[in-house]
Parts: sequence; C-alpha cells; structure tokens
Amino acid sequence: MKVLSEKQIRDPYTMKWFRHSVLLLFLLIQGFGCAHGPHSGSSSASSGGPPPYEEVVVASSPDPIPPDSPAVSPESEGGKTDNVSDSPAPLASPEIPSNSDNMNLDYVEEEKAPEKADIADPLEPFNRAMYNFNDKLYFWVLKPVARGYGKVVPEVARIGVRNFFSNIASPIRIVNCVLQAKFVGAVKELGRFAINTVWGIGGLMDLASDNAVNLPKQDADFGQTLGVYGLGQGFYIHWPILGPSSPRDTVGMIGDAFLHPFTYFNETRVLYVWIGIKVVETVNTTSLSIGDYESLKDAAVDPYVAFRDAYVQYRLNKVKTGGGKPAPSGTGGAISPAITEVRPSGSTEDEE
Amino acid sequence: MKRLLAVFSVFLFLLLSLPVHAGVPMDTVQANVDKVIEVLRDPKLKAESAKETKKERLRHIYDDMFDQVELSRRALAQNWNKLNLAQREEFVNLFRQMLEKTYIDQILAYVDEKVVFDREVQLSGTQTEIQTIVVTSSKKIPVFYRVILKGGGWKVYDVVIENVSMVSNYRTQFNDILAKNTPEQMLEILRKKVKGQ
Repeated sequence: MKVLSEKQIRDPYTMKWFRHSVLLLFLLIQGFGCAHGPHSGSSSASSGGPPPYEEVVVASSPDPIPPDSPAVSPESEGGKTDNVSDSPAPLASPEIPSNSDNMNLDYVEEEKAPEKADIADPLEPFNRAMYNFNDKLYFWVLKPVARGYGKVVPEVARIGVRNFFSNIASPIRIVNCVLQAKFVGAVKELGRFAINTVWGIGGLMDLASDNAVNLPKQDADFGQTLGVYGLGQGFYIHWPILGPSSPRDTVGMIGDAFLHPFTYFNETRVLYVWIGIKVVETVNTTSLSIGDYESLKDAAVDPYVAFRDAYVQYRLNKVKTGGGKPAPSGTGGAISPAITEVRPSGSTEDEE
Repeated sequence: MKRLLAVFSVFLFLLLSLPVHAGVPMDTVQANVDKVIEVLRDPKLKAESAKETKKERLRHIYDDMFDQVELSRRALAQNWNKLNLAQREEFVNLFRQMLEKTYIDQILAYVDEKVVFDREVQLSGTQTEIQTIVVTSSKKIPVFYRVILKGGGWKVYDVVIENVSMVSNYRTQFNDILAKNTPEQMLEILRKKVKGQ
C-alpha cells in the first residue's frame, strides 16, 4: 500500500480515500475469512462464501470444524445408536464430513428472535378432554351437517350468508376500533357497513372489499381490545363447542355478544339468540372450509398442542398488529412491491 | 455508464461474496410454485393411476424448495443441541417425510386457487420473507415463505400461514413432548406417525 505522508493524511480528500481503502481491505479480509466456513469446503471462491448467519453459528459453536477434516461416511454415523438421555453427545467432533448438510451445527438463538407466543396451561387435563370432545363433535356432527348443507346450498349463496353475518356484526368492529383508538378503522368499518348494507343487498355482497372501493374488513374484537390495553391472555382454556380461548378472550366474547345487533331487541334472551347465530354461522363457515381442520390435525405431532399454539400465535398477532395487515416480522422494509400472479389450471383437479 | 455499473456490481459481487439482490428470493419461491403448477397441469399426469408419479415429482420440488436441516434445527431450537448426530439425522429424515406428506396432500387438494406474490420483506442480510396471498373462491389466505440464503441459493425455512408460523408451532409441540420424554422417545413417536401416514 502507498505510504502516506503526514500532510496527505491531514488532507480531507486523502483521509477519505484512506478510510475507504481500509474499509475495503477489511471487507476483503472478511470475505476470505468467510471462505473458510464449513459450508464452502473445497469449492471455488466464485460460489460465494457462506452467509453471515452461518458465520455466527460457527463462531459461537464451541468446536468449529476445519473444512478439510477427514470425511466419514454418513452411513457409519447413522448406524450408531448412542444412549439417549445422555448429556450433549460430542456433536462437533472433527470427524463430521464438511458436506453433511450442516447437521453438526448447533442451534443458536437469533438476535432478533420473534416474541415467544407461549401460554400457561394449568387446566391441561380438562382442556385435552375438551379438545377430544370437540374433535369428535366435528367429525360426528359438524362435518356431516356442514357437508349436507353444502350439498344443498350452492357456494355463492354460502358466501353470501357469510358476508351477511360478517356485515351484521359490524357494530362490534366499529365499537372496538373506537375503544382501541383506531378512528380511521372505525370510519372505514362504518363506510363498509353503509356500502354493503345498501348496495350489497343487506350485506350479502362484500362490495367494499373490492379493489375499486378497497375498504377491507377491520378485524377488531373485545378480547383484542383488552389485549391492546395490556391485558395478557392469562391461561389457556379449551371450551367445549367454542374451542380455544382464555379468560381474556372469554370476557371478550361475552362483551361482543352484547354488541351483536341481533341481541339488541331481546335483552333477556341474549344467550339464546347468540347461540342461534353461532350455530348457523359455524355450519356455514365450516361448509366453506371442510378439510382445513383435518389437514392441520394430520400435520401435527400433538394436535392439542398444535391448535393451542396456533391460537396463541394468531391472537398475539391480532393484538400486535391490531388486526390490520400483518406486520413484517423483521425490521427491514419492503424491497419490491411487484405483484405477480400465478394461475393454476383453471377448472381441473376436481377431486369429487 | 451502464457498463461501468455492471463491472462495479460484478466486482462487488466477487468482493463481498454476498449475492443479495432484491427480487431473487421471490423469484426462487415463484419458480418453485410455478413448477408445482406445471405438475398439476401436466395432462399426462391427469389420470388417477399417475398419482404416484405426481407425488414423486412434487416430493422432488419440496426437497428443492425447503432447507430441511434448517427447518428441523429451528423446530427443535434448544432441544436440537441435546440430540447427537445420529439422532439429528434421523429426526431430519422423519420430519422431512412428515412435512412432505402434509405439503403434497395440501397441494393435491388444490382446486382453483390463485397465488398472488405480494411483496418481499427483508428480515436480515440472509433472510427474507416472501408474502403471498392464496386466493380461493371463498377466501384469501396470507401465506408467507421465509427463505434463507445458503450456499448460493434461497431455501424455505419457515412457512407462515395466517400469521401462524409453522416452525414455531412445531417448536411448541416438540418442546412439550421433550419436557416429558427423552429424545429417543420423541423419535419413536415420529416413527409411528410417519408409518401411520
């Protein structure tokens, strides 16, 4: 490198150049450092070094593996059956082949780890029993009923029914938007209600969600409002029939029932009216999503825990984002807002 | 000017060895989704008898698209470190079979959906979230793919459906299982699950 005289260093332009070259040198060194990660192995430099994530992992792993370690066939490793409950086995032994797909890398918590969606479950035995009850209820009652209903009522009509129920529940969302100080949301929801009630034939059509109007539904409920106020879920409750909930969301559900217009005229029979609404609504909704529950259940190792976690994650996100567009989980912004559409085969793949 | 820019970007590319470009992660995911649609559209695979071939092709795409080791490591989190290498290998293998099955069944139930690629959100230098919306005849489901840059390619390590992260969901399940069982017992549960499928 060029030797700089004192005068040159004092010169602001030279200083800048100097700093830049130091930075470049630093990056170069870092680049070479990267190439020594276990991932690149003997491959040429053109394939690019491993990303920083791996670098972090390697750096924090207690025993980094040299890239040119003697290879051991995976079969011989797989054949071993070590004692199970042992304390961490010698994982990062140098015998691990460098191309073993990073199997040897330990898990390291990410710095920007997303908030943990956890819930206490002191009622687990009761909850599990209720989950099993609801599971049977679904397969023995709800699904056959929804299927039959779906056979009789065409899909367009069922979507209309769903829109109608959604529209009539608008006051719940308006009030909760106001309670959460989301005044723009409240106005939007009010606009939706007006448009869909008048032009959408009493709410059968959701015209407001169309791209031309672009007033999407503002998901807001009282449980969410309480969450926004800082109230936690408390613990998990799996209600018979009603399913996943918590003390907070149960209070929320009751609050919302009183806001439902169908219950206005008949204050003494709030409960019955509400149950009636829920039954029709549930059958209708289920008829539009038969198979969803089954595939979620099939994908789970422990369905009870899977549904509990899904519920907690879903509700936590509702409170965090206020039911609007899901917040990006990272810090960075959108890079490319390009919208591309992919259309699968038109009316093929009919299973029935 | 353009050439200078090109030379400069190539230089930067070589220098930093970090091929991060806006759009590449989304293109990767989209290419895989396109491949899936191609398999579903293929008139030669329409017949019921071709279902196995179809599944095989989809399995291939799945393996291309997902980073199963990364996914497994994240699903087990701290528990991953308690498994020895043989157990990790078996876990990754069983978990892959399980997810492949789920994924393929889900795709084969695909009727008339449309996938809208909405946007890319950068999570970190090597992690990006591809936000898509699956539009069915009756609803819109937000499906986000989280991809990580590894060995020059972007691989999916998490899928977030309606704001529920699949990896977090499995993490809770495995955590719960490992709080009461040994890793070997957990593997046995998985073996049974895969066999029963």
